[in-house]
Amino acid sequence: MNFFNTAVNQVSESKDFPVNTASLKEVRTFSRDVFEKINLPQNQKDELVLAIAEAAQNIVKHGYKGVEQTNDKMEIKISLKDGNLEIGFFDKGKAVVPQNVQHRKLDDIKPGGLGTFFIKEIMDAAVFKKDQKGWVNHLVLTKKI
Amino acid sequence: MTYKVTEEGNVSTVFLNGEIDMDVTEKAKEVILPLVESGKEVHLNLKDVSYMDSSGISVLIESHQKALEKNTKVIIKEVSKSVLKVIMMAKLEQILNLG
Repeated sequence: MNFFNTAVNQVSESKDFPVNTASLKEVRTFSRDVFEKINLPQNQKDELVLAIAEAAQNIVKHGYKGVEQTNDKMEIKISLKDGNLEIGFFDKGKAVVPQNVQHRKLDDIKPGGLGTFFIKEIMDAAVFKKDQKGWVNHLVLTKKI
Repeated sequence: MTYKVTEEGNVSTVFLNGEIDMDVTEKAKEVILPLVESGKEVHLNLKDVSYMDSSGISVLIESHQKALEKNTKVIIKEVSKSVLKVIMMAKLEQILNLG
C-alpha cells in the first residue's frame, strides 16, 4: 500500500479474475490502480491499460472460444523493476500456438483482429513462455519504461 | 455503457457513454445497426466515451461498412481524445467518417 501517493520504481502485484467478459472492467481497474503508483505520463498509462485489457480479452475470446461458461480464473501479474515492466498472463484455456497469433493487415478493413496489433504497437515484446506451472498458457508482455 | 438516441429528420444520433469493451459491444451493435439498416444517417457522439478497445473499434468498422451497403453514412461526432487515439493507432482516421 502506498500511503503517501508517491511514485515508486518497483512494483509486483498480481490478481486473479474470472474468465468472462464482465471481468475486463476489473482488469482495467486493477491495472489502473497499479499504474497509479508508478511515475509515468497518463498517456502511457492509458496505453498500457489498453494492452493489458486486449491480452485479457484474447484469453476470454480465443482461449475459451466455444466455452459458454467456466469457473476458471486467469491471473495477471504486473511487475516493475529497474525500469523493466513485465506483465504476465496465466490461463487454463486452449493452448496457444504462438505462430498462429497474428493480427490482421491494417489495410484489410474489417471488424476484429486488432487486439494483437495494439499489444504489439504498445509493448516492446510479447512472448509465450513455457514455464506455465500448472497453467496452460503464460504470456509475458515487456516494455522498458 | 449507457446510451441515448435522438432523432431529427433522417438523422439518428446515438450518444454513447462510458467504457466500450467486449462486454458491451453486442449492446452497442443492437442500438446502432438497426438504425443503419433502416437507411438513416447515424451520428455516433463519442464525447462521453472514456475508453474504447479493439472490440469497440470493430463496432465502428461494422457500422461504417453496413452504412456503405445501405448507401447511407455513419458519422463519428465529438470523439473523445482517448478514443481518437485508439482510432488513430488502428490507422482508421481516414476510413471512418470523423465529423
